[in-house]
Amino acid sequence: MSESTTSAPGEDRQRALRAFLAARAAPLASLAVILLMLVVCNVMAPGFVSVTNTMHIAQLSAFLGIAAIGQTLVILSGGIDLSIAWTITGTACVYAQVSQGRPAMLLLGLAAALATGLVIGLVNGIGVSKFRISPIVMTLGMNNVIQGATLLYTDGTPSGGVADEGRFFATGFIGPFSVLVLLWIALSIAVIVILRVTRGGRQLLGVGENPLVSYLSGVRNDRVLIAVYGLSGLSAALAGVLYASFSGASFLGMGDTFVLPAIAAVVIGGASIYGGRGGYGGTIIGAFFLTLLTTLLSIVNFSAGARGVIYGGVIIAALLLNRFTQGAAR
Amino acid sequence: MTRWLSSIRNSEALGSVAIFALLFATYFVLKGCRYSFFEAGNLATNVLPLVVVGLAQYFVVLVRGIDLSLGPIMAVSGSLAAVLFPLGIVPAIAIALAAGVLAGALNGLLIARLSLSPIVVTLATMSVWDGVALIVLPVPGGTIPAFLQAVLTSEPALLPMSLILLVGFALLGTWIMSTRFGLQLRAIGGDEIAAEASGVKVARIRFFAYVLAGFLAACAGLYFAISTMAGSPIIGDGYVLPSIGAVVLGGVPLIGGRGSPIGVVMGALILTIIGSLLYFADLADFYQSLINGVILIVVVGAAAVRDWAREALAR
Repeated sequence: MSESTTSAPGEDRQRALRAFLAARAAPLASLAVILLMLVVCNVMAPGFVSVTNTMHIAQLSAFLGIAAIGQTLVILSGGIDLSIAWTITGTACVYAQVSQGRPAMLLLGLAAALATGLVIGLVNGIGVSKFRISPIVMTLGMNNVIQGATLLYTDGTPSGGVADEGRFFATGFIGPFSVLVLLWIALSIAVIVILRVTRGGRQLLGVGENPLVSYLSGVRNDRVLIAVYGLSGLSAALAGVLYASFSGASFLGMGDTFVLPAIAAVVIGGASIYGGRGGYGGTIIGAFFLTLLTTLLSIVNFSAGARGVIYGGVIIAALLLNRFTQGAAR
Repeated sequence: MTRWLSSIRNSEALGSVAIFALLFATYFVLKGCRYSFFEAGNLATNVLPLVVVGLAQYFVVLVRGIDLSLGPIMAVSGSLAAVLFPLGIVPAIAIALAAGVLAGALNGLLIARLSLSPIVVTLATMSVWDGVALIVLPVPGGTIPAFLQAVLTSEPALLPMSLILLVGFALLGTWIMSTRFGLQLRAIGGDEIAAEASGVKVARIRFFAYVLAGFLAACAGLYFAISTMAGSPIIGDGYVLPSIGAVVLGGVPLIGGRGSPIGVVMGALILTIIGSLLYFADLADFYQSLINGVILIVVVGAAAVRDWAREALAR
């Protein structure tokens, strides 16, 4: 007789609850720290926790959250995408330069930017799946390629701009709600539904969990991977477009500050860096956490160096938390 | 000694040697078929940091790892040295190198002992060491004793010092690979479970691979600071991709277990001479990063194509 049948149903429920909590230790812990940080911020800057300011934090989180959509999918598939830095910068430059700040050209600029991001992602996917190039080399190499291409395209100085109609999506408000935050919520729901409900989502998790098993059960792993990296390029492009809309223009290196936080958001969200386990819900918490942390560190006037150290420390802490709780749950 | 020779002879580095020879010949012809020891010394001076940090990356890649924090470790050691030199040359150098060893030990602890992902761990420590370098030395500068630079630019036995150091590091790497430790590194990269079963302490050896990498990165940072007469907190970013590039161009597969230090030296030389050729062709700096990226992807992709061809032929 196995243990589970002898134990009382209450114990079973307890064990299930413990497993549930263990799998979500990092996001739950960061939720607790988020609350703590909100309290600290409110003490340091009275009135910090207000509707307007919370919406502002959510707005800033949205850039990171949207850039991290692709990173979540890629990490769930067992890879990593280090090319989003210059994908964001490059597509933002394409958007501003094609649309030239003219309302009539906005859609053309948007289409060009998103198409550029998609193509970059698809090439990454083909390299990783068909040519079996390790994701880190493929995307790091691609990052360099896009960097060079962007410098050539802009001749070293990005030009153009974003018309007010386009800026509305990043800076506008409908009532008390930021348009950008609403957009992020819609995208989040779509991503979570795709991951949890659709066949594609399950295939993606399957490839990440065990590529061989996935392949043997008839899944075209290479197609899944190409799609995943394609989506990563697309989400980076969307983040680039929105960030350019927010700033009103594009500038070189604007994507550099996204790579580490995007990966950190996924890790803090509790996804296994080896793929297969996790989801986008955790990444949302991670994005909030990191944005709030950045805000707090700038309120208390930490230097760039100290911020780098704390950032790295937080990622290591999240990794360790995942390691010890999920390792135990497995 | 025979083991030494054989490790050079049957190395996977032959392709890299050929590529370098070809590029060098092109450069030589473009320069009007003249080449002096002085120019060789210049090339060695330019390539040396990349060679050393490439070797660091090589030892980590051998055990199926990767280290994105090596560039920032260079920045930390160079900055520390530049700040501490007024206290005396020996303590400054000792502390700069010790910082590298400590940084490597932290990576090794997290990756080898706690089996965390090398990519994410070293991305995180990359952020940490970048930050530490900025705290130690907020802007490039500090003081480097002129005496040390004089040593580096001296020409003992009529050979440029940088060239001697280059050969020295290549021999050091080759020697390490001929030791028991080197063999164990290879064994872990080849088949971890088999290595464990035959008595290799996998976690400990992997830990020391990261420590060695940290130490070598600190050496590279120290050399860079002395040769440029200033510490810089931001040099690290420029070495992340090239250090991996040198390994890959040297014929070392990223799945570990294979490849030789000579190959890595050749990989670093190839990357550097491509830079010189671009400069010679009067192409903008813009092309350098683009071409580096393309080369990296093509070389790794070509390895996959070669494997396919072999499989197809074997069938």
